[in-house]
Amino acid sequence: MKEHGKFAPLFFVGPHIILFIVFILIPSIYGIYASFTNWNLVGSPEWVGLDNYKTILANSDSTFYSQFFNGMKNTLIFVGLSVPLMIVIPLMIAVALEHKEVKFTSLFQTLIYIPGLVSISAAALIWSLIFNKQLGVVNNMFGSEQVWTATQPYAWITIIIITVWAGIGGNMIIYRAGINGVSKDLYESAEIDGAGPIRKFWNVTLPSIKFPLIYTMVMTTAGAFNVFAQPLMMTDGGPRQSTTVLMMYIRDLAFSHGESIAGVASAMAVMLGLVLLVISAIQYYIMNKNATT
Amino acid sequence: MKKLLMVMLTLVAVFLAACGGNDENTIQFWTPLTGDDGAYMDQLVEDYNATEPEIEVKHIITSDMYTKMYTVLNSGNGIPDLSIIHADRVPSFVKQDLLEPVTEIMEAQPELNADNYIEEAWSAGEVDGTQYTIPLDIHGSAMYYNQDLLEKYDVEHWLDDNVVTFDEMLSLQGQLEEGDYVLNDALLSWVLLAQIQNLGGDIQENGEPAVNTDAMRESIEAVKELNDAGLMTPYGEDGYLMFQSGNVLFSTDGTWSSTGHAQVEDLNFGVTNIYAFEPDTFHNRSSAHLFAMLSNEERSEEKEQGIADFLEFVRENSIEWAEAGQIVASQDVIESPEYENYMQSFFTSTQEQEDSLYIYTYEHYPYVQEAMDNYVADLVHGEMDINTGLEEMQKFVEDKVAEGSLDMENTELLDEDELEEELSEE
Repeated sequence: MKEHGKFAPLFFVGPHIILFIVFILIPSIYGIYASFTNWNLVGSPEWVGLDNYKTILANSDSTFYSQFFNGMKNTLIFVGLSVPLMIVIPLMIAVALEHKEVKFTSLFQTLIYIPGLVSISAAALIWSLIFNKQLGVVNNMFGSEQVWTATQPYAWITIIIITVWAGIGGNMIIYRAGINGVSKDLYESAEIDGAGPIRKFWNVTLPSIKFPLIYTMVMTTAGAFNVFAQPLMMTDGGPRQSTTVLMMYIRDLAFSHGESIAGVASAMAVMLGLVLLVISAIQYYIMNKNATT
Repeated sequence: MKKLLMVMLTLVAVFLAACGGNDENTIQFWTPLTGDDGAYMDQLVEDYNATEPEIEVKHIITSDMYTKMYTVLNSGNGIPDLSIIHADRVPSFVKQDLLEPVTEIMEAQPELNADNYIEEAWSAGEVDGTQYTIPLDIHGSAMYYNQDLLEKYDVEHWLDDNVVTFDEMLSLQGQLEEGDYVLNDALLSWVLLAQIQNLGGDIQENGEPAVNTDAMRESIEAVKELNDAGLMTPYGEDGYLMFQSGNVLFSTDGTWSSTGHAQVEDLNFGVTNIYAFEPDTFHNRSSAHLFAMLSNEERSEEKEQGIADFLEFVRENSIEWAEAGQIVASQDVIESPEYENYMQSFFTSTQEQEDSLYIYTYEHYPYVQEAMDNYVADLVHGEMDINTGLEEMQKFVEDKVAEGSLDMENTELLDEDELEEELSEE
């Protein structure tokens, strides 16, 4: 029995650790190594030290420099626009569904959750038809003459709409679970003290679901930084590369038609990872601080 | 219980062995042919296997094939015996020593020779006098016309010489009904690559990429003139769909689109050459699907014989491939009377037509096309200044070439260094 006890934990943790090492740890380390090399994915990587980083961060003449900064700017725009919406809208829906007089709550919950299950490429095809100038519902209903995906800010609007449409369900479920866990006594005593619905939301609901709130914020931000499919499918990075996000440049460099430029691509990916790491660290710091007080 | 376990273990072992892929009795055949193309190729392979050859062919459709090729080449495991690659990959693959010449294949089946294939498709696989590929098809730009609209605007005579010119199209300026257009902007960079040939230009100069050239500028300006005259479908709109909905006279897309257009009810269409400046100088930018063997020392002679037999079967029977809308490369097929039923037979109907098919074989062509795909729509539609665009495109390609080829140079240097080290040790 004792022998069993010794190894039992290994059997539980083992598979995950192996998968983590094989599919996450080793590729990440190799990716970081590749960022210090010149590599075309076929030959052996050639060590070039910090050259790739110098090119993308400091050599303003280089195409890769402008690609990196344009890609980073567009990624940040996407994060800035989408993350707040992906937090606020699901939260409002979750709170609304808690209202006593709302019926068929699980039906609504299902309807809002389902888009998240649809493959993003299939969804993008449907949405690009919805926004199509001649055939689309949007232009026919509102009588507009807009070519949505080829003019700004409409190109961003279409990307944000499809992202929000597909993404709010998951966060909403987490918020609903959080709100359900709040003791009813708190609401009752708040009512006795004369608190209205808005007061109850700010002073009872929000503080009680602080942890799920920050958790979703971290996860949604991380997901948003890795955005790729929506702009690729909806706008193909246009107009004039104003919706080309960093992941699209990285992919083109490493896996496009010509010889692969994996070194520079890896350097860009490492920089993206670093930005994400810093932002997540800040968010986690806030989360931990709030969790202990 | 024990028995069940044994059975399961055996099953797992069989499954793993089947995945191994180093089976001596099948030819692992990788293609990037997704969608309908893959189904037609499946049929060809199935027909071949039905002849009960000694070594059967196993067709594996691989999306993201080139990335996976790099992976297996790096690891040395699971390298396919045969694969289909695109013409524009050949120069860089050969330079990186990733392809094996098809010399022995040609010896095994003597009919696999230059005379039996369209010249442009055959020579796309030749580097420095060595043949590296056997062609399956040529596919590329084609211009579809809407017969009903040609009649409506009374311009059917444009097709009399099989070449629609810029001037002919410009003559319709101001005469179109609202919502109608003369041409769309589908596959625009290919159209421009054809114009560069029409003007006698090129995309390289002494091996260096030449994008910011007079020919490129003139081509872009000429197409922009069509756009400025209100003849081209507007920026960002789906011109391909607009052609199918019957609002556009000409659609400049690909040979393979004929199958898609044919599915549209009431679309009365035909195919002709990409528009040109003059009726007697015209080109259609093309690519080709080519059979190739990735470098692999473990490929046995028996397998090479099997590959040769399969390619000979394809040469004789690839009429099936015409279904996919592609211009079949085998002379036997395109000379057969059945082939005339296919729309794309237009492109091989005369020697002059065959000569119009042009494949760019410049080593860095993929970078040039990538640059064009990123920029030309903005330039033609006047969203961006042409001079700025040309400069950025040139820079784009040069930077990529510098970064992509540095590797090779460094490796060579390294080899020399190693050699010196070895010598000094002695």
